[in-house]
Amino acid sequence: MPTKKLLDGNHAAAYGAKLARAEVLGIYPITPQTELANQLADFVASGEMKAKYITVESEHSAMSVCAGGSAAGARVFTASSSQGIVFMEELLWQVPGMRLPVVMGIVNRSIAFPGSLRPDHNDSLLQRDNGWIQIYCENAQEIIDACIQAYRIAEDSRVYLPVIFAYDGYVISHTAMPVEVPDQDDVDRFLPPYKHEYVYLDPKRYKPVITHEPFQELGVEYRYQMEEAQNQARHVIKEVDREYGKIFGRSYGGLIEKYRCEDARAVLVTMGSITGTARVVVDEMRNDGKPIGLVKLRVFRPFPVEEMQELGRSVKAIGFVDRNISHGSAGGGVGTVETARALYSLEVRPVLIGFYAGLVGRDVLPSDIRYMAERVLRAAETGKPEKQVEWIGLRKQAEQVQVKV
Amino acid sequence: MQDEIRLPGHVLCPGCGGAIAERLIFNTLGRNIILFGGGVCASGGTANATIPSFSLHFSGVGAGAAGIAAALEAKGVTDVKVVAINGDGAISDIGFSKLSACAERGDNITQFCMDNEAYMNTGIQRSGLTPWGAWTTTTPKGKQVGSKKDLPMIMATHRIPYVATLSIAHPRDFIAKVKKAAGIDGFKYLHVMAPCPTGWRFSFDKSIEVARLAVETRVWNLFEIADGMLKITHTVKEKKPVVEYLKLQGRFRQLGDKEAQAIQASVDENWARLEQLDKKKVY
Repeated sequence: MPTKKLLDGNHAAAYGAKLARAEVLGIYPITPQTELANQLADFVASGEMKAKYITVESEHSAMSVCAGGSAAGARVFTASSSQGIVFMEELLWQVPGMRLPVVMGIVNRSIAFPGSLRPDHNDSLLQRDNGWIQIYCENAQEIIDACIQAYRIAEDSRVYLPVIFAYDGYVISHTAMPVEVPDQDDVDRFLPPYKHEYVYLDPKRYKPVITHEPFQELGVEYRYQMEEAQNQARHVIKEVDREYGKIFGRSYGGLIEKYRCEDARAVLVTMGSITGTARVVVDEMRNDGKPIGLVKLRVFRPFPVEEMQELGRSVKAIGFVDRNISHGSAGGGVGTVETARALYSLEVRPVLIGFYAGLVGRDVLPSDIRYMAERVLRAAETGKPEKQVEWIGLRKQAEQVQVKV
Repeated sequence: MQDEIRLPGHVLCPGCGGAIAERLIFNTLGRNIILFGGGVCASGGTANATIPSFSLHFSGVGAGAAGIAAALEAKGVTDVKVVAINGDGAISDIGFSKLSACAERGDNITQFCMDNEAYMNTGIQRSGLTPWGAWTTTTPKGKQVGSKKDLPMIMATHRIPYVATLSIAHPRDFIAKVKKAAGIDGFKYLHVMAPCPTGWRFSFDKSIEVARLAVETRVWNLFEIADGMLKITHTVKEKKPVVEYLKLQGRFRQLGDKEAQAIQASVDENWARLEQLDKKKVY
């Protein structure tokens, strides 16, 4: 029987890894991931979770342990944040290339410098090019569900790519809510034991395994196949989410979730915890008769191209709320830039505004959401944005600093 | 006929001491192993070994093997051994913290260090195990700052169950130590002196001769530390002067008499210290 527990995001993630029966954990502590690390240690120590918990000396080793463990046939798990993710970056290119279905939680935290302990998405979005699938969670319930789904997606033979499920530090990681913890038997039915068809380390069935430079001649074909796997993942993620819904009663719309988008003239697109705030503001504005809608971008990789194009056909203006920075970009954060590419092939394109919001963990308030919503609604009316990119919550002093070139 | 684990030929240089060492290791341990690591020079000598092998970039020393060992334990596989082979740059520099962590945790791995005393794969750059005075491409006047890290002793102070030094010129001693390590649970560290004709600047038919001279001059001493008990496993009857070892290698060409004497003094001092520890518990 499923049970209800009061869990914050970190504990929900730990329950997710336990229910998924992760067998090898390589974990190094970093704020705000630590409660997840601690909870897993308690699960293993008490025997509730049958796993090898490797107390590594760095995040680089955490992912090395996951790589070795996964190649040797174990279901593996790790989690980190911010500098920890950057420190393991080298491995984060090797693991998808080796087609290892590692699952990692990223407790989003901004990267120094200027960094803080609070969230933005640059740590996980730094992984946008290397083959990881990325799911962004809005709350603790979605974390536990995304973690279990992540293994099904990663271990699907059409995919065989690692999966990140990400959630905002503190806002989600340290905020408790009643969470339905699925029944173990149901999870076992949904998620059969891990067995990789192609990558294994077993003296009894030896075959050469391609792992290193001598095989660079096939590098382009490797990349092509990884890209095909990302394309396949678009279908697999939706399939898995639907099946999860049938068994557990919760699903999340696959790649994106539309909220109150019926007859909307303009929409805001959000990722992670900002979505929760935006739901409330959109409800209020809808009550006031404003034709605004909300789209939660749940999966950033593979990018939901068709979904965003369909959205682009149905509204006059889109505002992408980017909790990340891409310094010197073509205009806006990576969400805005990706969306622009997706919309470019439409014959009639909506207005697109890029909003930088919540960088370096700055709070995104309901008033900020309302401001952004008003801006896209206005752009929908005029057909032209006043600014292509806007900074939300920027203190006036910053704009007054003159830089002489 | 002996079961050759590695397919004929390899992409390492002719006369590679590491290739000889890896062949000894594979053929001693047999097929029921999983190999981790890039071996002596990237995957030049391990890629064609017909055993399951896995390698991350060379910075992933130890931790990747720890993951494999953990997976085997989680799966209840007890008869397969995890063997890791990495070069001196990986071991003493970029992967040093990982190696230390594996030793501290006691991961069930037999870890080899293929010591050719520089980053040979990238073109002979100095490492933490390059000896003082040796030319490399990043020490064009010879290594003037720092000496060779004493990795076997550093690993011994982690109180792991087995540490040993090995030489390709002493295959019986080599094989005995590999067999012994394989029979022990926990983290075992075996440090192989692997002469490199390309990087050390000697003719490729002299690898064994150079390796033997290293032992005969006491530049490289053969010992083991089992459960803290140090034992010198090969005693040189007639010690040769270090200069005989130095003059065979172009990498020491720039050294004058004074420097050679300094190296001799350091070698003598090391030996005196080691001899005092013989047949004693060092931890």
